[in-house]
Amino acid sequence: MTFRNFNPVLEARNPVMFVTEISLFVSVAISAIPSYFGIPSSGRYEFFYITVTALIFLTLLFSNLGAAISEGKSRSITESLQKLTTESVAHLLKDGGMVDVTSSKLKKGEIIHVKKNEPIPIDGEIIRGSAYVNESNITGESRPILKVEGDAVTGSTILLSDGIDLRVTHMPGETFIDKMIDIVKGTTRSRTPNEIALNVLLSGLTLVFLIVVSAVFALSHFLQATVNVMVLVVLLISLIPTTIGGLLPAIGIASINMVSQFNIIAKSGRAVENAGDVDTIILDKTGTITMGEREAVRLIPNNGVSLEDLAQACYISSKDDSTREGMSILKLASSLGAKDQELNGYTYIPFSPETKISGVIGENTFVVKGALKALKEKYDISDKYIEAVCKEISSRGGTAIPVVRDGSFIGVIELNDMLKPGIRERIEELKKMEIKTIMCTGDDEVTAAYMARESGIEHFIANSTPIDKYNVVKEEKKNARMVAMVGDGTNDAPALAYADVGLAMNNGTPAAKEAANMIDLDNNPTKLIDLIFLGKQILITRGSLTAFSIANDLAKYFVIIPAAFSIFPKLDFLNLLGFTHPLTAITSALIFNTIIIIILIPLALRGVRFRPSSADEILRRNLLFYGLGGVITPFIAIYIIYVILLATGVVW
Amino acid sequence: MTDISGGIGSHSFWSQFFLVHQGISGLIVIFIYISIISLIAFAFSDYVVPLYKDEDTPLRPYTSYIIGFFEKLIGPLSLKRMKFKEYFLNLLFFNFVAALVAFLFIYLLNSPGALSGRPLTVPEMVNTVVSFTTNTDMQHFPVAGHFPQFAIFFSILGLMVVAPVTGFAASMAFIRGIRTNEENIGNFYHDFLVALFDLFIPLTVLFTILFAIEGLPETLLSSVATNHFQASTARILPLGPVASFVSFSAVGTNGAAFYPSNSAFPLQNPSWFSNLTEIVAFTLVPLASIFSLGRVLGNKNFSRMLYGTVIFIYLFASVFTFYFELHGIPLYRNLGIHYTGNMIGKENAIGIAQSSVFNVGATISSAGLTNSALIGYTPGGIIGIMVGLMINDPLGGFGTSVINIFTFVIFTAFLASLMVGKLPELMGFKLGAKEIKYSTLSLITHPLVVLIPLGLVAVAFGALSIQGNPSPQTITELFYEFTSAASNNGSSIGGLPFGRPFFEYLESIIMILGRYLLLGFQLYIAQLFANRRPRSESPNTVKVGSPYFGLLLLAVIMAIGLLSYFPVLALGPFLSFARDLGLLLEVIPF
Repeated sequence: MTFRNFNPVLEARNPVMFVTEISLFVSVAISAIPSYFGIPSSGRYEFFYITVTALIFLTLLFSNLGAAISEGKSRSITESLQKLTTESVAHLLKDGGMVDVTSSKLKKGEIIHVKKNEPIPIDGEIIRGSAYVNESNITGESRPILKVEGDAVTGSTILLSDGIDLRVTHMPGETFIDKMIDIVKGTTRSRTPNEIALNVLLSGLTLVFLIVVSAVFALSHFLQATVNVMVLVVLLISLIPTTIGGLLPAIGIASINMVSQFNIIAKSGRAVENAGDVDTIILDKTGTITMGEREAVRLIPNNGVSLEDLAQACYISSKDDSTREGMSILKLASSLGAKDQELNGYTYIPFSPETKISGVIGENTFVVKGALKALKEKYDISDKYIEAVCKEISSRGGTAIPVVRDGSFIGVIELNDMLKPGIRERIEELKKMEIKTIMCTGDDEVTAAYMARESGIEHFIANSTPIDKYNVVKEEKKNARMVAMVGDGTNDAPALAYADVGLAMNNGTPAAKEAANMIDLDNNPTKLIDLIFLGKQILITRGSLTAFSIANDLAKYFVIIPAAFSIFPKLDFLNLLGFTHPLTAITSALIFNTIIIIILIPLALRGVRFRPSSADEILRRNLLFYGLGGVITPFIAIYIIYVILLATGVVW
Repeated sequence: MTDISGGIGSHSFWSQFFLVHQGISGLIVIFIYISIISLIAFAFSDYVVPLYKDEDTPLRPYTSYIIGFFEKLIGPLSLKRMKFKEYFLNLLFFNFVAALVAFLFIYLLNSPGALSGRPLTVPEMVNTVVSFTTNTDMQHFPVAGHFPQFAIFFSILGLMVVAPVTGFAASMAFIRGIRTNEENIGNFYHDFLVALFDLFIPLTVLFTILFAIEGLPETLLSSVATNHFQASTARILPLGPVASFVSFSAVGTNGAAFYPSNSAFPLQNPSWFSNLTEIVAFTLVPLASIFSLGRVLGNKNFSRMLYGTVIFIYLFASVFTFYFELHGIPLYRNLGIHYTGNMIGKENAIGIAQSSVFNVGATISSAGLTNSALIGYTPGGIIGIMVGLMINDPLGGFGTSVINIFTFVIFTAFLASLMVGKLPELMGFKLGAKEIKYSTLSLITHPLVVLIPLGLVAVAFGALSIQGNPSPQTITELFYEFTSAASNNGSSIGGLPFGRPFFEYLESIIMILGRYLLLGFQLYIAQLFANRRPRSESPNTVKVGSPYFGLLLLAVIMAIGLLSYFPVLALGPFLSFARDLGLLLEVIPF
């Protein structure tokens, strides 16, 4: 694996390593027949030549090692993914009957049935029934997830409860796991435009150093002090940016691995880099800033109504409600003493965004609940106490759902949505990075303002509809800002497609997933923030290592040039470290050049630590650390290596 | 009775202080010079801004007739909006025609010069024409003696107009590429005419008057006979329109010398005041262009940052040169006598500090004028003067200041963006693979164009049958010559035997590549920018006006220069320290 990359044809894609490899061949030739190159071939010199050859070989090996580790990691990721695509039996619903076929024979649009405790054979959308699904094999989350009609399910996840009917949404071989495998495989080969640009720049530097070294040869020849060719090879290898050149492929592959470890499918490496470039981020309140599961936490009866009475009424109205909120109301009501009651003679009206109410209607009695405004208009009623309670709940960020029985308010259900733990800190980090955060929520102004204040967000859009999201993206794009957003619904798709970075949830609709350029398998929208960090981290790693690599050259010059021209004692004032053994000094510089690669491999794979702050602040910090550090470190390191070499008796 | 006047009188404390503490007074002089050129350039940037914005200058009501006349003369070509390829080809074509005409004049009317006593050889002619067309003005013969040959004189003078004005036109196109997104970079002929009539001619007229008032000859008389006060025979003192010539030379950052010893000759630079005027003349447009950039591109901090970076380099190099010149030759310093520094080749009226700031200014910009004999400088002093040459004139020339500094700015923006975790961009323009490719090419042009010929000459030195021993001094001289040619500076250290066809042709190639390759790459980048609509600068991106960006820019400039030339410096000037001035080592604070 590591050695396969030694193929010069492959190395030609990376000019820095290509030059290194050519240098290796040259140094082998020099070591073999030094006299042919007109340089001394006594024992101590021969030892020096072989050492140099070995070190150049190690430089190549280490640089390929980094890439190999990354590639190995990405291979293990694909392998674990491939395990998920094993075939299983699907129950195809056809012409009113059920036929068993293998999952690979399924076609898009076909309807299949999945039974309890069976793996879901392929990606699909639930068209009948609701069930708990264990998605731990792709998300690592062992808690079963409730899936209802219209939700997407991923192939290979296990159905835990009653059977459901699915419509197949992806042909076998085109499912998300298949796509993810392709991407993880593919990114090891294709490079992002930014990587190409950096490569061009490094090639330019390499070319300059090639000419510099040739000029040194010519000038030394001119001064009748022709420098040893092997020393020139060392000079060349030390000067060309082998550090960043060697680690560049590793950084590229590692970044995609990191995305995969986040359980996100990125459709291209470019999308991840774009994420680091985001100026504006649009977050949904529900699910991103808050836990996303509104739960009934309290029942507040109206004057003259007992709590038990209210609980029983709530129970009846929510009995057939299969939404998460409805279930939580049922649970709360039961705990408050409501008894199970058959709904004879009642019809259930589900919640709709138009009417904004739901409940049950009997022949001469009804229990409905919903938005205060809608109820007031529909039944032409008002109640000061109830309105005050609702207002109070909203101002605390909760959602108030008044309950009306037979034309009068009997109480209020308080639903609450908790801020996600740690979200304040994340928002604070975004602020430090000077990224504009906009919160979109369907809640009213008061609730939205409360949530925004609580989470530290400055911009929010209350009563928002999906079209609002699209308009926000458009507005921000008009000011030429890079926009990132999260979405899951079909009506989010236009905004997702229009945004520069669109992250769709895996349980979102197929349209949303198609429009986004990244998909989160864990369905955790907060990860958008992690993605931004990751994108930045990749770029910072590249930039910092480039700066470090170039800055290193200064010290190498000050070590190698006086040593190479030790024939001119007066040049000794350049010998800042006071080395007395020229060949040992040159070897020390090369040793540093070689081992710095292996020392930095973990950094390249892990990425430079990114602490959110303003661009100026990051620039200052990295300039100091990698720029100035890059100047000073090699002086110290080469000195230490030199002393160690002398101490172990390696003197040439 | 004690003297309470404090200021006047040779025994006052302060006059004694400044006399004794030469270093401090020198630093003050350098500071004053740099302050004056900055203030004047800052004020003048008001005039440059409309040129870059395609708006009317205050002079336009008067010049519009002339510009209109010439545009009619050129025909429809002068109205066409050109893309990079067309613009650049027209620029090349126009320069080529100008050079060809000048060459034919010189070739046909060639006759022995009054000073050299021989006609110019063909290689010399080629070198001269190329040198003047590329705004390098490396002269291997004195203009003064050739003044009587009007045709030669005026064809050279013509090129001294064409070269800088072409440079300014190119910078107008470059800025237009950044400023607009109309997918073209303007019209070369229009830019040329505007730069000529709105900027070059008014400035040269102004400075000609100033120089004439300061005592530079301005006459059509070709020479006067003078009686040398010791010699019995009369001597011929060449004269001519020196004030105009110097004005063209300085304002256009040509750096051509009327007299062989350039502005070190009293008739070309009679006093400290003319010295100051000349430095103002050749830094005016480059500095003003940098100042105006901020207002043209709507980012004043960017200008401040550029100014700070360039002036830091200027100040550093001036002080560096001043320090080594003041220390002079250790042998003399150690004699124990009152030694006022290395005055070899320097004009007494001007002194070390003013010479340092002048010569460094001339190499930091692409003027290349000199007011003292560089061959007489200490190796340390020469390194200070060479700083500008090695980094391709960061202050640049008439117009090209903008282009030169952008070479480094793009590279820096790329690195800085990555370091803060943003996709590389500069002023809202994405820096993709293509932009970086051409910026890298423009960045490596200078080192390659210097080092390849240097290496070739070093290897083939014996075959070139050049007299003298191969010594570090020769490397320094060759290196100086080639860096000066590549950065189109024209400053010359001398010492090399010129006139050899090989050298003349080699240098011509260096000058052409150093000029037109760089212009081509940069204009191409401008075209790439013109094709795109920039995104508004977001708050969380690298701020190109921030001091940290300036610091990184400085680091990049120095790193590219130092990394490219460190070995050559070591084998040239550094070794010269050791060989020729062995004792000088002791003053180097390493």
